[in-house]
Amino acid sequence: MDLTFTAAEEEFRSELRAWLSAHIPAEWRRPGFWESLSDEESFGLRRDWERDKALAGFAGIQWPTEYGGRGGTPGMKAIYDVEMVLADAPRTVNPLGLTFLAPTVMAIGTDAQRKEIIGPMLRNEVIWCQGFSEPGAGSDLAALTTRGVRDGDDFVVNGQKVWTTNAVHGDKIFTLVRTTPGSQKHRGISMLLIDMHQPGVDARPLKQMSGASEFGEVFFDDARVPATDVLGAVDEGWRTAMLLLSFERGASGMSQYTEFRRQYDEIAAVAKKLGRDRDPVIRGKLARVLTELECLRLHAMHILTQTEQGRDLGFEASMTKLQWSEASQDLWEVFDDVLGEDVTLEELDDLDLTPFNAQAMWSRSVTIWGGSSQVQRNVTAERVLGLPR
Amino acid sequence: MFFALTEDQQEFGSAVRTYLAERFDLDAVRAYFEAPATNDAGNLDGLWKAAGEQGWLAVTVPEEHDGLGLGLVEAQVIARALGAGVAPGPWRGTVLAAEAIRLAGSAEQQARWLPRLATGEAVGALGYSRSVEYGQTADVVVTPEGLLTGFTATPVGSYDRTTRLARVEGGSTEALPGDASSLEARATVLVAADLVGIAREALTRTVDYDKEREQFGVPVGSFQAIKHALADLHVGITMAEHAALYAAHAVDAGLDDADLAVSVAKAKASDVALASTAAMIQYHGGIGYTWEHEAHFFYKRAKRLAGQYGTADAHRERIAALTL
Ligand SMILES: Cc1cc2nc3c(=O)[nH]c(=O)nc-3n(C[C@H](O)[C@H](O)[C@H](O)COP(=O)(O)OP(=O)(O)OC[C@H]3O[C@@H](n4cnc5c(N)ncnc54)[C@H](O)[C@@H]3O)c2cc1C
Repeated sequence: MDLTFTAAEEEFRSELRAWLSAHIPAEWRRPGFWESLSDEESFGLRRDWERDKALAGFAGIQWPTEYGGRGGTPGMKAIYDVEMVLADAPRTVNPLGLTFLAPTVMAIGTDAQRKEIIGPMLRNEVIWCQGFSEPGAGSDLAALTTRGVRDGDDFVVNGQKVWTTNAVHGDKIFTLVRTTPGSQKHRGISMLLIDMHQPGVDARPLKQMSGASEFGEVFFDDARVPATDVLGAVDEGWRTAMLLLSFERGASGMSQYTEFRRQYDEIAAVAKKLGRDRDPVIRGKLARVLTELECLRLHAMHILTQTEQGRDLGFEASMTKLQWSEASQDLWEVFDDVLGEDVTLEELDDLDLTPFNAQAMWSRSVTIWGGSSQVQRNVTAERVLGLPR
Repeated sequence: MFFALTEDQQEFGSAVRTYLAERFDLDAVRAYFEAPATNDAGNLDGLWKAAGEQGWLAVTVPEEHDGLGLGLVEAQVIARALGAGVAPGPWRGTVLAAEAIRLAGSAEQQARWLPRLATGEAVGALGYSRSVEYGQTADVVVTPEGLLTGFTATPVGSYDRTTRLARVEGGSTEALPGDASSLEARATVLVAADLVGIAREALTRTVDYDKEREQFGVPVGSFQAIKHALADLHVGITMAEHAALYAAHAVDAGLDDADLAVSVAKAKASDVALASTAAMIQYHGGIGYTWEHEAHFFYKRAKRLAGQYGTADAHRERIAALTL
């Protein structure tokens, strides 16, 4: 058992810490600061800050230097994830690109694609959207109907995507499109990399239950994409998509633990302030959530160990998703119990509850996106336990 | 970062599993379970001999006292395997008695007891609870006051017949000069590990059965209500496995969060073992409710151990106290 990081990894931690402490304005750490900004303002600030961070060498931690990354270890990536949370660093504006597209491009993209996509993504010159879900194709992604028809050197795309995170900020969208007319299910789909700044693409915001508009819908009306802008092979898009989704796996468990543990401490502080920390029912519920969060931390250490050993985690990603998303949702349900009759208030005594409420609302989404809890349970039951379909 | 069992540690676990599968399977457990109450220690001669010969008892005893000199991490590997096999016998009490003497005994006490406990020549028990596991076969009982010998043991009836219990009275106590304050944590970890082993085995057996059992013309394991319950158990049990492993390491290494880790492990292990063994009964249907079926061995053992060294609720209160 060795729960430490290497000297080089700890050295990286110090450098990163120093940079973060010098480059995050105190005001940004004030509770409620980000919630007080418009989507537009928040996005702009974060976009620029993240670019500066990339230019300072703190981006693409695990990717090769020749593509603009830092060439670090999985341990450094884990440290990076945790330190970003501890420093109250702004949330990334390019989550879909960084989490999903970049590793897929590194794995199966052409060399030209690696050069064109990775560096500009790290510097936020290109904000990426993920165009998978459609009105008729959510959990059943293979029911998608957006189609692309070959026309000379281009595909001409028609259809609609929905729930697209960052739709109105997006520059490009990696999109699942049916490129073989009349094909069924998983066949005949390609992953096209479509420029969103063209007349054939219309992105509109959708307002979420939280009041924010982080996602939206994207309409394709004779949108054009060069036939070379396919990731993976033409008509092999399902395979590309499965690879891409596999990168959700537990790599971020450590930072999620750090984030949720902070939220736990904040909720505990509210409970104390309200004298609710003496209620044995509340104590039991908080402890139950803390147990799950500690398990998440250990699970993240397990995932990191397996990654460092070069093992494929396969369908274990579903377990990771279930553990973190269900635990964080439970945590915010306990917050409701802590507030009791004052739940839904925006202010209590001198306490601004809006940042808490925003998190509580967000917690309803985490068991839906990235494969709902029900879908993850199906995967776990069928692929891991081997129960019949 | 290496948070996992090494190959040697895994090997230790499989050796115990293999021994039980070949030499002390569920038929043997049943014979022990059904032995008349008058035969209160049951017949464990073969199993006990193996425990001594294969190093299950010597695991944490220092090499200078004929032990293997390993730690709680390895001990919890054995505990997990014994739980999975719902195996009877005073293994845990003997290991914990040796731990108390290793941690807090004088050189003389160590020389007197450790080599004998390591081979199984002497049987130990931990007397921190009202009913002492295998008090009737123990040569020495570790109590909060020290080493108790020359006591009388009165059998206590319990519906978990995978383990025999006794009330221990009289005798004389010899103090342990050193600090045995981590003993209860060690006991808690080993019980948590046993529970984790029970939980995993109960799930595996249920999955296997539900793949085969057909109703409405299909395997019942294809019904989503069952799939989702079993998937949640798989996730929960995996987390409990992580938690038991970490707690063992945290106690041995004296990590800052050892107390929290132990309570997390016991709370989680108790919950998943109760849930998994109850699910074993439910998702076997009527057969799962019979005496003939093995589900009740797992369920009853899980119930008893979930109550030992703090229920899940008691550990949650400790977790609250540590984090609020
Ligand atoms: C905040 C947020 C951001 C998102 N961002 C993106 C994005 O950037 N790009 C993108 O492509 N998509 C995005 N999504 C969409 C997300 O991936 C889908 O919402 C998700 O896949 C579920 O699909 P659906 O909404 O159509 O629900 P449905 O699939 O219609 O599901 C409805 C309910 O049925 C359940 N269900 C469905 N199938 C089964 C089954 N086989 N067994 C049991 N239960 C089942 C579901 O769990 C759910 O509870 C986002 C969603 C949210 C909430």
